[in-house]
Amino acid sequence: MSHRIREIALCATIAVLMLLLEWRTTGFFSPANLVDLFLANLPTMMIAVGMTMVILTGEIDISVGSIFAICSVVMGECARAGTPMVVSLLVTIAAGAVMGTINGGLIAYIRIPSIVATLATMVALRDGLRWYTQGAWIQGLPQYFQWFGLSQSAFLLLCAVMVVVTVFLSAAGLKNLRAGRKVIATGSNKAAAHMAGIDTARVILGVFALTGGLTGVAAVLNSVRFNQVPSNSGLGLELKVIAAVAVGGAAITGGSATITGTVLGVVLLSGIGSALTFLGISAYWEKAIQGGIILIAVAVDVLQFPRKDNAHTLAA
Amino acid sequence: MSCSFLVKTMHTHLQRKVRLSGIQWALLGALLIEIIVFSVSSPSFLTWSNGMEILRFSVELGLLVVALTPILITGGIDLSVGSTIGLVAVTFGLSWQNLHLSILSSAALALLVAGVCGVLNAALIAYLNLSPLIITLGTYSLYRGIAEGITHASVSVTGYPASYLRLGQGYLWSVPLQVFVFLFFIAVYGVLLHWSKVGRALYAIGLNTEGARYAGLPVKRYLALVYLLSGIVSGIAAVIYVAHLGLAKSDLGTGFELQAITAIVIGGTSVFGGRGNLFGSVLGLLFLCVLQNGLHLLAQPSEAIGVLTGALLILVVASDLLTEKLQIFRQRWERWRLPLLLAGAAAASILVIAAAVILRSSRTDAAEAADAHPRPVIAVMPKAKGDPYFISARAGAEEAARQLGVDLIWDGPTSLDPSMQNELVESWITRHVDAIVVAVANKGSMSTVLRKAREHHIPVLTWDADAEPDARDYFINQATPEAIADSLADEGARLLNGNGEFAIITGPLSAENQNEWISYIRKRVAERYPQMKLVTVLPSDDDRDKAFTQTQNILKVYPHAKLVIAISAPAVPGAAEAVQQAGSSVDVIGLSLPTICRPYIRSGVVQTIVLWNTRDLGYLTVYAGWLASQGRIPPNAAAINAGRLGTLDVRGSEIILGKPVLINKANIDSLNF
Repeated sequence: MSHRIREIALCATIAVLMLLLEWRTTGFFSPANLVDLFLANLPTMMIAVGMTMVILTGEIDISVGSIFAICSVVMGECARAGTPMVVSLLVTIAAGAVMGTINGGLIAYIRIPSIVATLATMVALRDGLRWYTQGAWIQGLPQYFQWFGLSQSAFLLLCAVMVVVTVFLSAAGLKNLRAGRKVIATGSNKAAAHMAGIDTARVILGVFALTGGLTGVAAVLNSVRFNQVPSNSGLGLELKVIAAVAVGGAAITGGSATITGTVLGVVLLSGIGSALTFLGISAYWEKAIQGGIILIAVAVDVLQFPRKDNAHTLAA
Repeated sequence: MSCSFLVKTMHTHLQRKVRLSGIQWALLGALLIEIIVFSVSSPSFLTWSNGMEILRFSVELGLLVVALTPILITGGIDLSVGSTIGLVAVTFGLSWQNLHLSILSSAALALLVAGVCGVLNAALIAYLNLSPLIITLGTYSLYRGIAEGITHASVSVTGYPASYLRLGQGYLWSVPLQVFVFLFFIAVYGVLLHWSKVGRALYAIGLNTEGARYAGLPVKRYLALVYLLSGIVSGIAAVIYVAHLGLAKSDLGTGFELQAITAIVIGGTSVFGGRGNLFGSVLGLLFLCVLQNGLHLLAQPSEAIGVLTGALLILVVASDLLTEKLQIFRQRWERWRLPLLLAGAAAASILVIAAAVILRSSRTDAAEAADAHPRPVIAVMPKAKGDPYFISARAGAEEAARQLGVDLIWDGPTSLDPSMQNELVESWITRHVDAIVVAVANKGSMSTVLRKAREHHIPVLTWDADAEPDARDYFINQATPEAIADSLADEGARLLNGNGEFAIITGPLSAENQNEWISYIRKRVAERYPQMKLVTVLPSDDDRDKAFTQTQNILKVYPHAKLVIAISAPAVPGAAEAVQQAGSSVDVIGLSLPTICRPYIRSGVVQTIVLWNTRDLGYLTVYAGWLASQGRIPPNAAAINAGRLGTLDVRGSEIILGKPVLINKANIDSLNF
């Protein structure tokens, strides 16, 4: 119930923003701009789907930005070494999944709190990558690297299909599949889920591996739009993703989040950056406006929902 | 009677409160081992002045650590402390400079702002019962955003009176002044957390919030208190930090929140709340600061710090958790206790010796040869190590070092970070290198420490960007900001025939170089090309992908703009790719490197990039540093002989490399940097 209200509120906010843009600007809703917006925020969207599941289990992953950077470099290195495109993209996704699995293993089996474990991997992976590349970009990529050798429209179609499939599969999976219900159960009450025979450790390992894999996919789709790979991509990506998921109504304590909410959150937050340019608002205020929107979106909850049940008894 | 009672209570209290957990003993041991390793491998490590410098650099972070520990103990988190530092520093600087308030009233106003920051967090978290992680993630953006908004991210306030700067740079009984402030806050928080009713309540809240509420504790009020205090203490850290660096700017304190949390967690505090103590946090802080200082003294690359910190974080927390499981085996373990302890001690000492030997030998071969006939050590610092521009300069620097037979230390912040630059120079002074050559990221903050280096009779040179003239011996002038901006503006005017709209894509909004170039470009355009109009300045944060997106927006929002000037190395390829993919006829020029722009210059998307030979520049940094260290630059010299670069002019105290070159289709293939 609460999710429905949050989603309606988000839709309303997006609608207001869209009306404002339609009224004050020209060209924001041109197909070309929408395509650019979609492609630019594709990585955020893919990773946010994974992050929603991580947050559903009551954990968090702040290492996705570093994983994204490493996956991009892996993709570039593979392509430069002349590996066939299909192999390099599989290697990249696997690299992401492996790093995600490492996170998941530390969290699920060694029981390191997720924020600590992923803080550690975030710092270590980022500096490790800097050490390895010494900041140099990967250049001299084969001609077929950019756009997968496909035409732009075919690539766009591929991206659109990937996003739609990922979103629908995960949304439907969370609702209808056994694995999806296990994720929600683990997040709602880990002890109870364990008692009910769910291997909660494996569930947590799974969602982190999935997030890593999706980050790899995001890195692949992003790198093939260019003809060289920088070594410092994805800085601050984790905060962007988490903010989008939180704005989408996910409870950071776990057990409550929807993919629909996340999608709306990504749309709202990613739309704003571009909207400010179109509205001619100075870029200096962008961060403040984004912060304000996160706070308002989260604080609105309190105003409209009844408190938690035992909060009532305590207040009395 | 009462006295013995007091002693007795003190005794029991001390026993109960200051008992270290296993992991903290381990950390204390690790800290000692770290100190031993570093003192064995670097003679300048274990000195009073180096110890004091470590302390000085740990104060600002330390205040955050102290403020965040109680928050983590309640099971909360505050990610906004670093941003609060930025906002408070800016408020302080602006109210002193623009409102002409005295230092004291500016500080009061700044602390008021800090209080407001704390109150907002406190209200949302404690009274509206919202998740601290999400709320402070929001205020993290909000506070930094406001700081950037009111200063346009470019104002940096300097020139404070010496009496105030003493707070961050002065000594009392040869101990840095701010260390006393730090100690005061440790004491206050120690009492609050470990010897007061409030402290017990905070632990209770961390262990079980609902339970604490049922027990009649004013949970909301106490939670509000710790978040409010965290805001205020961040504010105090900001005032000290400004005095320490001598400047106030909106990007101060970036990334401090995660460093502080790392220190606290290494110190044995649980992020789930209810466990940990202040002593451990301070220990964790010292451990990290000593590690950083030691690695700098040994000239290990800065990246090693991140990798080591990450690995340690996992190791410490994992071993803490595993010891709990080991309790089960404890009885069996008890029998083997002594042999195991001895074996452990032996293994540890072997590791220590091995680490010392490895670190010693990695100080290049010169360390051993040093006694016989010392090779000069030239320390060169880029603004940011990962920037492609500085990477290509490094190749030249290494070439000169090989040719001259000197040892080169090439290290700098991994991203723009004025305080990291200060810290490195301090460690170089302690090491007593033969010459220091610095690309100054921030004039105001670097000049003080460079003067200190000169007082220690180390020749100081600056390159890429200058410090205050009295803070260095020579400035290697590759091209003045004015010359760069003029070349860009002239080139742009040529392409537009002096008439039309253009846009600028910069690095981060707070980058000082870029802001200077922008202001000179504006000036040049206003003077010479009144028909040209700058429509917008957008940030790329030195991120190729962001520059790409911003250019796409420019193409759509400003259809009349016919030129994009990208003035950050990664931004030029980003802008060029956007123009190319849009099939647009907009011209792209800018300041970048031939290597990453080559495809776009060849295809004609990028018309011109303005640059000097960065490889030569890197070569010159080491060569001139070496000349200065040997006293081979006579006073009032009009020219120097710079190896393969031939004779270079010296004007006053500036060594002139030459004019910026325009790189275009015609000469791109002859350049290899």
